[in-house]
Amino acid sequence: MTAARLFELIIALLYLTGSVSYPLGLVLRRAFLKRIAAWTSATAFGLHTVDLGLRSLELGAANLQHGQFYMSLMAWLLVLIFFVLWWKLKHDFLSMITAPLALILFSSSLAVRTQVLAVPEHFSALWFSLHVGTIFVSLALIAMAFGAGLAYLHLERLIKTKAKLPGFSKELPSLQTFDKANHWAVSIGFPLYSISLLAGFLWASFTWKKVISWDPKELISIVIWIIFALLFHQRMVLGWQGRKPAKTAIVLFILCMVSLVGVNFLLPTHHSFRP
Amino acid sequence: MNQEIYLVGLNHKTAGVDIRERYALSDCDPSATGLVSEAGDVCEAMILSTCNRVEFLVVGSEVADMRAKILRFWADQCGQPLADLQNHTYCHAGDKAVNHLFTVASSLDSMILGEPQILGQLKTAYRNAVEKGAAKVIVNRLLHKAFSVAKRVRTETAIASSAVSISYAAVELARKIFTDLSNQRALLIGAGEMAELAATHLLSAGVRDITVVNRTLAKGEELARQFKGRAMPFEDLHQALLDTDIVISSTGSPTAIIRARDMKDVLRQRRHKPIFFIDIAVPRDIDPDINGLDNVYLYDIDDLKEVVEENLAGRMQEAQKARSIVGEEVGAFMRWRDGLALQPTIVALLDQGEGIARRELRKSIKQLGPNPDPQTVAIMERLARSLCHKIYHEPISYLKRRSMEEGSAQRFIHNARRMFNLDDESIPEDAHLDRKAPGGK
Repeated sequence: MTAARLFELIIALLYLTGSVSYPLGLVLRRAFLKRIAAWTSATAFGLHTVDLGLRSLELGAANLQHGQFYMSLMAWLLVLIFFVLWWKLKHDFLSMITAPLALILFSSSLAVRTQVLAVPEHFSALWFSLHVGTIFVSLALIAMAFGAGLAYLHLERLIKTKAKLPGFSKELPSLQTFDKANHWAVSIGFPLYSISLLAGFLWASFTWKKVISWDPKELISIVIWIIFALLFHQRMVLGWQGRKPAKTAIVLFILCMVSLVGVNFLLPTHHSFRP
Repeated sequence: MNQEIYLVGLNHKTAGVDIRERYALSDCDPSATGLVSEAGDVCEAMILSTCNRVEFLVVGSEVADMRAKILRFWADQCGQPLADLQNHTYCHAGDKAVNHLFTVASSLDSMILGEPQILGQLKTAYRNAVEKGAAKVIVNRLLHKAFSVAKRVRTETAIASSAVSISYAAVELARKIFTDLSNQRALLIGAGEMAELAATHLLSAGVRDITVVNRTLAKGEELARQFKGRAMPFEDLHQALLDTDIVISSTGSPTAIIRARDMKDVLRQRRHKPIFFIDIAVPRDIDPDINGLDNVYLYDIDDLKEVVEENLAGRMQEAQKARSIVGEEVGAFMRWRDGLALQPTIVALLDQGEGIARRELRKSIKQLGPNPDPQTVAIMERLARSLCHKIYHEPISYLKRRSMEEGSAQRFIHNARRMFNLDDESIPEDAHLDRKAPGGK
C-alpha cells in the first residue's frame, strides 16, 4: 500500500513539475523549460497508465465503487485528449491548461481514496462504460476548448485594440489554431456528450423504471446539453467561428465544473461523491 | 616586435553617403595591392565594404602610424584625397577593435538594429580575405569567433525577433491571425508602391495567391502578372471579398470604399471566416468601424507604424543584453590571444610533459610493490623527468628559432598549441575554413 502511495505521489509531483515549468518556459522564453514540461507530463502520463492498469488488475470491477478511480480516470483521459490535440494542432500551448487540471483531478482522486460509492445494483457494464467513458472524453474536450477559448479572447483583444504583443503573447499560436481546438471539441465532444446522456437515461429507465428522477445532476446535465447543442448547431450549420464559440465553450466548462464539484460533492444526488 | 589588432573604418554614423560612396572598396585585394606583405608591417588584413560602412581589419606590428598607413593606402586605392578620410574615420586597437568587430557582426552597429544582412556581408568579406591569403591565424580565429558571437546574440536575445518595417509588421500580424498563410488568399485593392511591397512580403511568406482589383483594369492586370495572380474589375470587389483572407488597400479614393454595413453581408456569405484588412491608403479606404465586427481585423497605416516603433524600442532594450554578451566574448578572445605569446606556450608545453611523466611514474611505482626500494624510485624519477625534458627540447628550440623570424611566430605557436592540444579544445564544426587558408597549412 505504501509503495502504491509513493507511486501516486510521484505521478502528482511530475504533473506539478509539468504545470509549473510550461508557463515558466513561456514567460521566460526558455525552450528547455518547455521540453522539461513535455517530458515530465509524458512520463506522468505513462506512470498514470501503469497505475490505472495495476488498480484494475488488483480490484477488477470493484474499482467502479471507488471515487478515486473515477477522478483518476478523468485526469488520465484529459491528458490523453491533450496529446491527441497536440499532435493535431502541432502546438503544445494547451498544456497550459492540461497539466494543472490533470494535477487537480489527480490530487483530488488521492483525496477521495477511502470513499466507496453506491453503485446501483442492476449494474450493466455496457451502459455504464458508455455513460462514463463518453462523458469523461467530452469533459476533457470541453476543458481544452475552455483553455483555447481563454487564450483566443486574450489574443483577439490584443489584436483588436492594436496593443503591443508583450513577451509571452508572441509565443501564442494564431487565432485560427485556437478556433481549431474549439472545432474539435464541439464536433466530437457534443455527439459524445449526447451519447452519454442517452445512455444515462436509458440505464436509469432499466434500473429505476423511470427515465427522469429530477435529480440535480440530471437537471444541470440537460442545461449543459442544450447550450452544447446550440453551439454545435451554430458552428456546424451557420459556420460560427472565433469569439462566440470561444465564449460559449468557457460558459460550458464553468457549468461542467459546477456540475462536477458543486453537484457531485455537495448536493444529494445518485451521482454523489460525498463521503 | 609585438603584433596588434587594428580596426580602421567609417560608417553611417561618422560619414554621410557622399563620403561613403567615394571611399567604397568593394573589390580590393589586400595581398595584390601590397597592403599585406611578408616584409611590411601588416601581416593579415580583411576589408569589409557595404553601403553603410567601409572597415579595415588589420593585424600587424605595433607601430604608432598604423592608422595613417592604412588611410594612405585606402585613399590611394580610391583615388580620393586623404583629408576627407581623416575627419570621418575611427581607429580602434586591441580589445576595442575586437569589440567593434563583434558589435558589427551582431548587427548592433547597423542602421536598423538587428538587421540580418550584415552577417552575410561579413562572411563574404572574410571569404575574400581567405581566398587571397590575407587571413591567417588571428583573422581566422577572430572571424570565426565573430560569427559565433552573432549567433549567440541572435539566439539569446530577442534583437531580431520582431518586425521593423511596415510591410513585414503586416505579415507578422497575419501570422497571429491565420495558422498557415499558404492556405490564405490575398487581395490587393489599388496599385501603389507600398501595396506592392506588402504583397511581395506576403508572397514570400507563402500566401496561396494574390488577386488585384483596380479602377483601371489594365493596370491591375499588369500588376497581377507580376505576382502571377489574377485581376478583377473594380465592380467585382464584393465578389472578391468573399474568398480572400488578407486585403491590402491603397486606392486614392477620397471616401471609404468598404463600409461596415456592407461587410456584415459579406461575412455571412463567407461563413464567418476571419478576414484581415491592411489599409495603407491616406485618406483611409476602409471604414474603421469594421474592426468592431467579429472575425474582422483592421490595421491602418498609423497602427502599423506604431507596431514598428514599439518593436524598434524593444530592439534597443535587447541591444543592452547583446552588448554584455559581446563584452564577455571579447574577454574570452583576448585571453586566447595572450596565450599566443612564446613564453606561456613553453611553460604550458613543459607543464604538460611533466604532468604526463608524473602520472606514469606513479603507476610504475605502484607496480613495484608495497615497499619499493628508495634508490630504484629515485632512478625512475630521474629517468621520467629527463625523458620529458629531452623530448620537449626539440619542439621548444624549434619554436624559439621560428619566433625570431618576423610574421611567422604566431603561426607556429598557434600550430604547436593545437598539435599538443594546450588549449584543450574540441575541433570546431567549421574547422574546414582554417584549412582553406594558405597560412594555416
